[in-house]
Amino acid sequence: MPEPRTDVAAFDAVVVGAGPAGASAALALARAGRSVVLVERGPFPGSKNVYGGVVYGRVLDGIIPGWWDEVPVERWVVRRSTVMMTGTQSLSVDFRTDAWGAAPYNGMTTLRSHFDAWLAGKATEAGARLVTSTVATGLVRDGAGRVVGVRTDRDGAELHAPVVIACDGVNSFLAKEAGLLSRAEASHHTLGVKEVLDLPPGAINERFGVQDHEGVDMEILGCTRDIPGGGFLYTNADSVSIGVVLSLPQLAASGVRPEELVADLKAHPTIAPLLRGLTLREYSAHLIPEGGYDTMPALAADGLLIAGDAGAMTLAAGLWLEGVNFAIGSGYAAGQAVDRALTAGDCTARGLASYRADLEGQFVLADHKRLRKAPSLVLSDRVQQRYPGLLCDLAEGMFTVTNPTPKAGGLKVTRAAAARHGVTLRQLAGDTLRGLRIFG
Amino acid sequence: MTGPNVSPVVAAPDDSAAGPLVVACLRITDLRATVDPLDGSISRDPLGVGLSPADAAGLEQALRMAESWDGRVVAVAVGPESIDPILRDVAALGVTVVRVPSAHDSDGHRYVAELAEDEHGLAETVLAAVRPFGRPVLVVCGDRSVDRGTGALPAFLAHELGAAQALGLVALRSDGPEAVVVERRLDAGWRERLRVLLPAVCSVEGAGVRLRRASLAGALAVADAAVPVDRSTGRTAAGSAAGTGVLHIGATRPYAPRTRVIPAPEGHDPRLRLLALTGALVAHDPPTVVHPADAAEAADVLLSFLARHGYIDAEDVAPEAGAP
Amino acid sequence: MSGPAPGRSPWDGISFEERMATVDFRVGARAHIAVDAEVCRSCTTKACVSACPANLFAPTSDGGILFNYEECFECGTCYMVCDSEGAITWTYPDGGHGVVFHHG
Repeated sequence: MPEPRTDVAAFDAVVVGAGPAGASAALALARAGRSVVLVERGPFPGSKNVYGGVVYGRVLDGIIPGWWDEVPVERWVVRRSTVMMTGTQSLSVDFRTDAWGAAPYNGMTTLRSHFDAWLAGKATEAGARLVTSTVATGLVRDGAGRVVGVRTDRDGAELHAPVVIACDGVNSFLAKEAGLLSRAEASHHTLGVKEVLDLPPGAINERFGVQDHEGVDMEILGCTRDIPGGGFLYTNADSVSIGVVLSLPQLAASGVRPEELVADLKAHPTIAPLLRGLTLREYSAHLIPEGGYDTMPALAADGLLIAGDAGAMTLAAGLWLEGVNFAIGSGYAAGQAVDRALTAGDCTARGLASYRADLEGQFVLADHKRLRKAPSLVLSDRVQQRYPGLLCDLAEGMFTVTNPTPKAGGLKVTRAAAARHGVTLRQLAGDTLRGLRIFG
Repeated sequence: MTGPNVSPVVAAPDDSAAGPLVVACLRITDLRATVDPLDGSISRDPLGVGLSPADAAGLEQALRMAESWDGRVVAVAVGPESIDPILRDVAALGVTVVRVPSAHDSDGHRYVAELAEDEHGLAETVLAAVRPFGRPVLVVCGDRSVDRGTGALPAFLAHELGAAQALGLVALRSDGPEAVVVERRLDAGWRERLRVLLPAVCSVEGAGVRLRRASLAGALAVADAAVPVDRSTGRTAAGSAAGTGVLHIGATRPYAPRTRVIPAPEGHDPRLRLLALTGALVAHDPPTVVHPADAAEAADVLLSFLARHGYIDAEDVAPEAGAP
Repeated sequence: MSGPAPGRSPWDGISFEERMATVDFRVGARAHIAVDAEVCRSCTTKACVSACPANLFAPTSDGGILFNYEECFECGTCYMVCDSEGAITWTYPDGGHGVVFHHG
């Protein structure tokens, strides 16, 4: 087999990381007829990736029409529960609709080893070159300091291109090297730990009240002791994913081990019956960038764009927890921006500026901008530590029959519950307004 | 497209001018395959496929041997399409690869059924796939596959090739064009060095060498290349299993030792029968409690106890200075 | 809120080793984590010890830190929670090695 004996290979663009952002960027470029190489450090796309459960596919409508007929789906989410809990209580808002169980669907559960490989397959079908088991160890710059490629860990051989798109995830060493991302800030990150538990499809349908191919998404608040965060539970085809998301600085300060908190959640009286007798199939952990819009780095430098988790594009705004769709949206936009810059012959930060403008105009940055205050509210002490208990007590006060004592009025119950949790009605009203302003 | 040229990993024609042919015979499978203890069914995850440590060492040895002879390496593996990514990684090392299709999918097979497969037929199929590249001087196998198997394949390969065979090797080097010198472990840290005449089939342990990494150029060249599939024999490897197997394994059942009959104790009183049965009133040596003053004394007490009960010879505990 | 009572849930019975045995790790020859134990000796929090989801860091009696790299999730928690600059040097493992999530 002939083997080129050079240590440099040249392309129109180098995309680092074959996750949803990188695969989408490579897909956009390959479709535009550009030569693009997609570098993945794992043995296959998705092998290093973990997520909290739901991929919202609307972003794919414009990229892969009819995607739902071919995507490797586990279950289509038709039930979405938001659960507030204390050690002994829980209050759920449980929504279910048939609309999400039919095309064009809303959200799905999938496994990243399947989904990411499928999306990267779309890129290679379009002509992108995928190189796995290869780490991009650093940036290559020209005399003017512009990024013109990456160095790999295959004997230091280099991949050269006028533009590099760094989709190398939450730890993005490339974005840090380029100076776009400062030293990793623990307070802008959460740790997700997840267990995938075996459960036969029939048992999932029975325990979660769904039919075949229908899935459940539970988002849980109040299950992480004193550590800001939350829990999640999702149904896959023949397994259940359960885990917690934990604010890094407080996790570190607490001295609690992450898997202990998953065990807590699994032992909660509301969750335990759903998971009785299950065996662990895989344990996993991953970081999530949760700083939101205000902590987002600059997204372009000369010869470099960043997309996906590398650009902190995970929306963790309480009611909404999304990341894969933002990765796809930003990656595809980055690919298109690079194509435009190559056509214009200007791959400087200025030439690549249309990327950010494009993102601001669509959901990727618009959502982040609108919800920019959400992370601080959702991770605030009152929302984390007091409101779950307050709301549970409120429900308990309203629904406990106290005969022969007459029923207390709603305001009285609220006041009593608020007082018990050290919240004044003024703070409650203030946070409600704040929430309405952020989410409304 | 401005990228480097892509050449598919096409099967090279028989070209004896390219030097001696070394064949790496690989078993690419899920490295974490599990066998259900109840029904013996095997689950293999296509995402878990890879080269076992023994196969990786075998491939590295094959590459080194080919380099020392200015030869070439052909890697052959039997398996489904899901092993192609691994074969592509092997091809990135500059190795010509060929896959022999297998009826095995990733799941649902019985371990016992796989054990009973026709390894002789498998060896014939593997060699038929290699034949277009010439006659191998050396075939290197991993000496152990992660999902077991019979381990008989190298022997059948050697038989078919009329070649010498050596097993369990940890080192391999060429000794001129006619032979290889190999080493294998013996007990107590000893090693045995053998001179094996070519052609030979050598099985190596997953030790001593680490598989090299492919160059970036190699990885790029195979990125979207197709892995050639050998259909020369017109049959799949596992297709030959049914009916023609030389190994027959029947139904198995748990080991049930014969019952030992103990005569019922004599006597009319149930209490006495019970006592006789349990030996509760039979005199036993009471436990010996020792609390000597120092360690030397304690050692003497223990040794004399062992001698008294015949565990050691009495003269072994012959009192030295100051013993009782 | 305190932890669950011992034995309250049967699945908590699995050991940490069994938990980690469910994960596919393809261990490379090069350690991708390096810890400067000299720096660790002056660290009072040692946050990496409890926060690492793979439990790779162990305090030693002389105040240093002993670390493993083999069963690493490559999440980055350790260096992000680390107080002291330069105590933990963390890179990705060599290509193709390290953790491989099948159900991520």
